[in-house]
Amino acid sequence: MGSDRKELSRRHVAELEDIVGKRGVRTDPTARSAYESDAFMLQRATAEVIVLPRTTAEAAAAVKVLREAGLVVVPRGAGTGLSGGARPVENGAILGTARMRDVLEVNAEDRYARVQAGVVNVHLTAACAGAGLFYGPDPSSQTACTIGGNVGNNSGGPHGFKYGSTNRHVLGLTMVDSDGEVIELGGPGPTADGTLDLLGPVIGSEGMLGLVTEVTVQLLPRPEKVETLLCLFESLDACCDAVSEMIARRLEPSAIEILDRLTIEAVEASVLRAGYPDHAEAVMLVEVEGGDEEVDATSADVIEVARAFGAFDTRRTTDPAERKRLWAGRKGAFGAMGRIAPDLYVADVVAPRTRLREIVSAATVACRERDLKLANVFHAGDGNLHPNISYDRRDADEVRRVLEAGRIIMEACVRAGGSLTGEHGIGLEKQDEMCLVFSDDDLAAMDQLRGAFDPSAFWNPGKMLPVRGCREVHTRPLPVEPSTEPTDAQAPGGSR
Amino acid sequence: MSSTSTNAAHERPHPMDRRSLVDHARALDCIHCGLCLTTCPTYQLTGSETSSPRGRIHLMRAVAEGRAEPDATFEDEMNFCLVCRHCESVCPAGVEFGAMMEFSRGALLERKPPGLLARIARWVGFRGILVRRAGLRLAAVGLRSAQLLRLDVLAGPLLGLRGQIFRHLPRVPGARERRPLPPITPPEGAPRGTVLVLDGCVMPELFGRVNRAMTQVLAATGREVRSVPKHVCCGALHAHNGELDQAEALARTTIAQFNEVDDAAPVVIDSAGCGAHMKEYGRLLANDPEWRDRAATFSRRVVDLTEELAGPEGVERLRERLGDQHGIEGPVTWDDPCHLCHGQGVRDQPRQLLDLVPGLERVEMSGADSCCGSAGIYTVLRPEDSLDVLEPKLESLEQTGAATLVTANPGCHQQWQIGIGRSDKKVEVLHLAEVLERALRPR
Repeated sequence: MGSDRKELSRRHVAELEDIVGKRGVRTDPTARSAYESDAFMLQRATAEVIVLPRTTAEAAAAVKVLREAGLVVVPRGAGTGLSGGARPVENGAILGTARMRDVLEVNAEDRYARVQAGVVNVHLTAACAGAGLFYGPDPSSQTACTIGGNVGNNSGGPHGFKYGSTNRHVLGLTMVDSDGEVIELGGPGPTADGTLDLLGPVIGSEGMLGLVTEVTVQLLPRPEKVETLLCLFESLDACCDAVSEMIARRLEPSAIEILDRLTIEAVEASVLRAGYPDHAEAVMLVEVEGGDEEVDATSADVIEVARAFGAFDTRRTTDPAERKRLWAGRKGAFGAMGRIAPDLYVADVVAPRTRLREIVSAATVACRERDLKLANVFHAGDGNLHPNISYDRRDADEVRRVLEAGRIIMEACVRAGGSLTGEHGIGLEKQDEMCLVFSDDDLAAMDQLRGAFDPSAFWNPGKMLPVRGCREVHTRPLPVEPSTEPTDAQAPGGSR
Repeated sequence: MSSTSTNAAHERPHPMDRRSLVDHARALDCIHCGLCLTTCPTYQLTGSETSSPRGRIHLMRAVAEGRAEPDATFEDEMNFCLVCRHCESVCPAGVEFGAMMEFSRGALLERKPPGLLARIARWVGFRGILVRRAGLRLAAVGLRSAQLLRLDVLAGPLLGLRGQIFRHLPRVPGARERRPLPPITPPEGAPRGTVLVLDGCVMPELFGRVNRAMTQVLAATGREVRSVPKHVCCGALHAHNGELDQAEALARTTIAQFNEVDDAAPVVIDSAGCGAHMKEYGRLLANDPEWRDRAATFSRRVVDLTEELAGPEGVERLRERLGDQHGIEGPVTWDDPCHLCHGQGVRDQPRQLLDLVPGLERVEMSGADSCCGSAGIYTVLRPEDSLDVLEPKLESLEQTGAATLVTANPGCHQQWQIGIGRSDKKVEVLHLAEVLERALRPR
């Protein structure tokens, strides 16, 4: 920390403890150090204090104290983010929602739920399962990540292919602004009172506009039938091409995922072993939902395409336990990579779905040239790729090579008409690369929007928008090559 | 646990030197993904990532790499953990959290011995009582006298929360029920070979009826049941609370004494905490070239009672013998002991066995696989935290409407009795072996 470090006075600590209780404030350095990063391990910093409110009112009161103390605030859910968005900043407090985990209302008739921001994604779905409803976005970290964090990063997940990202599901938000005032945006019903639709800018704003404390989301009826298909390929390229073909044929499963051999091996060695065969070079995991006939027809089409592209084995199941096992393996894939090296860099890029193969090959070459271990697992249906690079953060040169490879992969995607992030956010990791996509004018406009919500840069300063101007980063936006599907991928923050 | 038991012959040893305080090699397995957070009872309680598995591993690694001091916070976080190992059940990277925690607790204890009173209490508990049959008997008789004289009523006002817990401890049964298991119980019906059983330390004193029920049920499935009269303690509580040298010594004694009776028969355990620990002797003694292989071989023979009974032959025999005259009224629910479901990966077998009993209605309890707060001697060490962890479980129990709660570990058994006793609920707590024994029809 710099020399102008702001110490939190004893009075401020006492005030915070009065508001959130003793258990909700952590001040000693050892305790605070556990918050030094989220799941993005490459950059760490220590917060001045950790504050864990239980309600919107407590959060608002805490904001006033922290502001008076001269600190800035980084909002945090469960700290499962992969781009450093919830990492502490200099002179910053962590305001965490981990104790705000009440499901406030499930309305089965109007099909919405209102939850506190710290409710864990799967707990929301569990809370409305009795009514035959579920919550759409299902990030792979859904057993731990919070709805508030999902709002911050506009999170998606495998089923984002059918259901879209968080922004398609949020009806209303309660947030605390930098003055400690509570703001309500939207709500369960249609809002026709002529106010601006401000949900759009807030969802995916990575905690830079305020602290979201309550979220109203729409719920979806559980489909009549769900079938999960597993298609095995001898080559990753063929598997990618099969996905491109499925998209071109306008097949509409709810999820299309690809795992490569290294990922399969890691998953199968873990407690989440899903029964993926270890002799396949790539596994395609597809889910099909709908009425009986619809599911049968789509599944048959998917298998036909997979076979045409060389799938040597295909399996299908509607058994809930078996399906759960297959998905648990996919969703534990990142963590399972811990078996390969102590750290993992999870890239999160989007490319047009006709060009998956090309991006995979660019990633492969970039890693091979730098002697790095690469595993691929991605939401192929969305064109959202997660090349995973294993490394050890204690090896400074390896870290440098990892970041270099990450940048090459991002550049390849942008050139192909894709974007920097699908669902993990920009955070700290991809700040400089924002200049690959946006001009200084674009970025200035974003900063103005931010200023409209938060004029004093109180919320999560130094994230997402490049701290230095792009001229300093020596980068100009990359020209996008003409592509067969130019509208397929979307810009950061707005993608699936 | 899956990886630890299947690869028992190639266990990764702990560091030889405990001054490091941390099993650094194991800490590097963690990739910081955070999938463990929601499973952790202390994270649930506090919302603090410092009190989560990932947070604790971070602290360990930071200490090992010299980025943090092993200060009071560090020590408190290590002791706040219940070592329920729920995190291991969901960890995609296969982090051996329980093993790391045992090592760090042991190292901390060596580095900074506790105060005189605590040292005396630990010595009496770990060396005077747990490992000596005479000590255990004396303690049981003492507790029984106090309970008979109603002295336990005074404990609340005198000892606060600890005293309240004392008041609701299970009644120590009379001497008849505390007698040890017979050395040999003959099989009923066509013999299916011999099994060894663990009488245990606390089990015969507080839950002798459970051990006897286990023996009868095993015999009813055609097993000749042999006990190991010389044996007292497996060392699980020692290991979980940092008494590592003592734990290693007890492991060696246990292996030798069991092998003396039979060196090949399966070792059947009705106490999940002991079973989980004995399945890991291979790891515990991995630094001892003389014992390493013997320990690994022994560990592979250890099975939980439910694993033994739920095999095809066991189920077939039980089907013939179980009737509906068990007298258990109302719905029953199964609560997974952590060291059974997370420590040993045994989840389906107990449910399957309960479902074999005619006329028994089984209901699932939400969060059955989360910790009840017992965690060995945690109830005594941190009574407030222990009861806070139990609180949501009591609510889940209420929601099931069950009249009987079934478990398979003495600590959990006792914890539930304390919690139910304090809340004036009317729910009976039974060990799975007792349920099966009550349902056995005479041949």
